[in-house]
Amino acid sequence: MAPLDIATVKARAGPREFGPGDDMPEEYRRAATRMIQFHANSEIMGAYIERPYIRQAPSLDRKLAVSAQVQDEIGHGQLLYRAAENLGIKTREQMLDELANGEGKFLNCFHYPINSWYELPMIMFFVDGAAMRRQATLKRTSWEPYAHAIDKICFEEGFHIKHGEDILREIASGSSHDRELLQEAFEKWWPRILQFFGPTNDQSVHGGFAMDVGLKTMTNDDLRTAFLNAYLPKAEKYGLEIPDTPHVEYDAEADRYEVAEEDLDWEEFGEVARNEDPTGAEQINKRHRRQAAVEWVREAIVDDSPGVGTTSAAAD
Amino acid sequence: MRWEVFRQEKKKDYHVHVGDVHAPNAEMAKQYAQVMHARRKPANSLWVVPKESIETVEADDHDVAMGGLTQREYRWATNYNTGEMAEEIQESEAEQVEAERERKKAAGDQ
Repeated sequence: MAPLDIATVKARAGPREFGPGDDMPEEYRRAATRMIQFHANSEIMGAYIERPYIRQAPSLDRKLAVSAQVQDEIGHGQLLYRAAENLGIKTREQMLDELANGEGKFLNCFHYPINSWYELPMIMFFVDGAAMRRQATLKRTSWEPYAHAIDKICFEEGFHIKHGEDILREIASGSSHDRELLQEAFEKWWPRILQFFGPTNDQSVHGGFAMDVGLKTMTNDDLRTAFLNAYLPKAEKYGLEIPDTPHVEYDAEADRYEVAEEDLDWEEFGEVARNEDPTGAEQINKRHRRQAAVEWVREAIVDDSPGVGTTSAAAD
Repeated sequence: MRWEVFRQEKKKDYHVHVGDVHAPNAEMAKQYAQVMHARRKPANSLWVVPKESIETVEADDHDVAMGGLTQREYRWATNYNTGEMAEEIQESEAEQVEAERERKKAAGDQ
């Protein structure tokens, strides 16, 4: 029997509509693989940039919570690679290898290291908050195994973002020196956060098809606006000053935020997206070294536990 | 041979364990599962799994720590008071409150 044709897929597209029981056309399977692999890679790389703060946390409570968060994120990566593997385009080993050798793509913000505790809430609150905004809309994605992974991710993610905000609140209620360093961290990360959802007026190559077949349920522009609606007031609540550039303006008539494209560095964004940025390359190298360092663990599991099988080979 | 049966009520639901059947092979197990577990209850799909293929871990077993033995308040959203949150964060927290309630209820039942 021939796979479903694209027209049928587009007509049927809806929340959790397709699963391993459906014979999906290759174009759908490739688009879904690209999207879920990107998401899985981002979970892993997000965990890697937060990981140093298990060691550098200022208190035991923070250490435990950051550690739990990093563990959750590695777990999310695992769930997502499983969901992607179901599409039959790539194996999880292939996807993990692609990430380690620099072919695997992931979110722009996770290409930069976090250089101080003051920068941590920029990731844990704003970037994770932006990711959560997107993930909430993916509960309605058309690839059912993806939606199932998202159920668990969204369940856990509430803790991450609230913990991130708690760190932000704590720093913001500290000394004036603390608040200065926080503002500096914010100004450093703010343009990257604005670029999280990609260029405005969605010139995304893959976005249209992914929307048509129900993989994505909201455009990047709408996601950015929803994110800014919820998180700009939060930034102000903690006394952060929104920088004049990049210029962000609310257009009441269109009910959306306009971000001045020309104020953002799209050249750097492109380099980051293609894994050509040097700091990003160093993040990827960390992952590469770590994967090689625990190779013996994966081999030991496969060799000695026939009942366990290869799928339990941990990402770290 | 024993087969555990998992039933999915509606398309898109999760498959939930509903019981078992005795059958000499997978074909018969599928037939029996339909008759015993899907005749009166709504069923969109059934899974049958050989009993011996299922590995078990029990909370009471030695060296088992489901979710750990120490207090882990720090990994629940409810542990942090940050005021009103974005809608999707409130939803996530509500799910966690529900899970915590179920966990306490289960502990109380023992």
